[in-house]
Amino acid sequence: MGIPAKRRRALAAAVLGRELEPPRANAESGVLLDAVSGTILDVSPHLIIIEDDEGHEERLVIAHWAKAWRGGFVAPADLPVGARVIIRALRQGKVVDRIWADVTRMTGIILSVSGRDDIAVVLDCGPHRGRRSVVIPYRSSGRVRVRYPRLEPGFLFDAIGTVEGTTALAQIPATSQPAYRAAHVPDPPAAYGGVQSKISGTAVWSDHIEAGVAYPMLEQSDTGCADAGVSCAALPYLALGSSVHVRNVCADRATVLPVVACGCMAGRFCDRCVECGTSPRGRVVELSAMSYVELGGDLTNGCFNVRVGLG
Amino acid sequence: MVAAAAQPILVFMLVIGGVAKLVTAGRDSEPGAFGRLGPAVLAPESWRKNALICCAIGEFGLVAGLLLVDHPAPRWMTVAFFTVATYVLYDLRRRRPDAGCGCFGDVSATPVGLRAISRTLVLTGMAVIVALDGSPGLPAPDWQVLAWLAGFTVVLLALSPEIEETYARLKYRAPCELRPFAPERAAARLRSSAVWRNHVHLLGSELPSDSWRELCWRFFVFEALNGAEVVFAVYLSGRRPPVRVAVVGGHTPIQQSIPVSASL
Repeated sequence: MGIPAKRRRALAAAVLGRELEPPRANAESGVLLDAVSGTILDVSPHLIIIEDDEGHEERLVIAHWAKAWRGGFVAPADLPVGARVIIRALRQGKVVDRIWADVTRMTGIILSVSGRDDIAVVLDCGPHRGRRSVVIPYRSSGRVRVRYPRLEPGFLFDAIGTVEGTTALAQIPATSQPAYRAAHVPDPPAAYGGVQSKISGTAVWSDHIEAGVAYPMLEQSDTGCADAGVSCAALPYLALGSSVHVRNVCADRATVLPVVACGCMAGRFCDRCVECGTSPRGRVVELSAMSYVELGGDLTNGCFNVRVGLG
Repeated sequence: MVAAAAQPILVFMLVIGGVAKLVTAGRDSEPGAFGRLGPAVLAPESWRKNALICCAIGEFGLVAGLLLVDHPAPRWMTVAFFTVATYVLYDLRRRRPDAGCGCFGDVSATPVGLRAISRTLVLTGMAVIVALDGSPGLPAPDWQVLAWLAGFTVVLLALSPEIEETYARLKYRAPCELRPFAPERAAARLRSSAVWRNHVHLLGSELPSDSWRELCWRFFVFEALNGAEVVFAVYLSGRRPPVRVAVVGGHTPIQQSIPVSASL
């Protein structure tokens, strides 16, 4: 997507006579954290060696307070070699603060449910992500079902879990289940005062790899995403390649990110984030896991309160 | 005379109510539904849509009976309909104070209040007058009938919370950044503009190589004959929307943004 997005920005800037470069994050944006992702080559109580996504070997010191999550909190040294990790790092990305291993997020519309102890769920994750089979293991089914009482076709599902082999295991619910069916998303509130320059709401993360955000209000004809253009927050229409200024209100960190994907699933959730205070309803952006961590988010919390403006 | 004025109002209210309910039932969004569905919110979720459709069909049936059947039965059925509606609204206000009356679909989103209940009471009274006196079909107009008609209309308008809702919707229309706008309409606006006519000779093809929307602008990119690209930006609001153009790359220097009105 990269070249068309840059090209679009350049052409739009030329025809509207605006700055070609989007505003960069400034001193008020706070300092972004470092995020590193890769596969564990070796790990000891004080050192972790990973092969990052570019194939380079990285050695990071593990801080004594660092915690790791792999379906539950474990000591970093207990992580298995070969696990895929996302690391929040300090000190120019050399000191490990937090590790999430084999973490994945399962967001979609329930298509079918089967099984009694271990519950198998098939999700429709949108036209661009396709279908996905997930398993709610018996040990997690209690805490998932207390937040997702209606495991029925047509309702929304959003959980955080781990990938073991080829199986995605839902470990913790990411949010409470919306009371409505996925096809019945509430209308956004009336925009009496026009469009706000900054929109507050919820930011979540997803498994998409490209750094940037998935945004719900895109024109269907421009994106090829038949489910785009649905949101219960009053969001303006943007395009793939538009830049948005994303501020994590809880951690007071901000950055400018491009719209890289259709956020058709995020738009169907009309929930609030209570990470710090109570956000207005509606998921505004869906960040890649790396961007989410860089902005100070905790992957197991699933969301942070966000303020988004057109970059 | 009073019945002659009341009957057209009953017919009009039943038709408008039935159409609005069918439109609401045909839409696919919820839970604002609590505000729109009215008494149907008391029914189980899977029955709500059918309840709305049945109510609309019942209203159309009463209209047909009032206009076409020379028998007291449809007139007394209208009385029964509005009497039950009054009770249901009273009960809805007690059990679900957050729900709108749903009388006219999603326009009736205001929670049920005394005005909505009073309106149904007035309609019940009018239905009783029609049942005691009425005859089928619409009456021949005369001055006294028109005066009563105007009086009833004023009373009903005063008792209708939908008037404020409609006014607010008209006054506070969603801004163009939030409104869907078909790309085909934007393309039609572009092709009817003077900017298009002035630059069409530069284009290698009349089909855009790329098109996207951002906020209130839709952009169209065309390959030019000299290897450059011609970019048009069409504003998506207003009757005579501005259209801008720039020629980028190729052998031609990049032109600065040229604001030109489509009306020029």
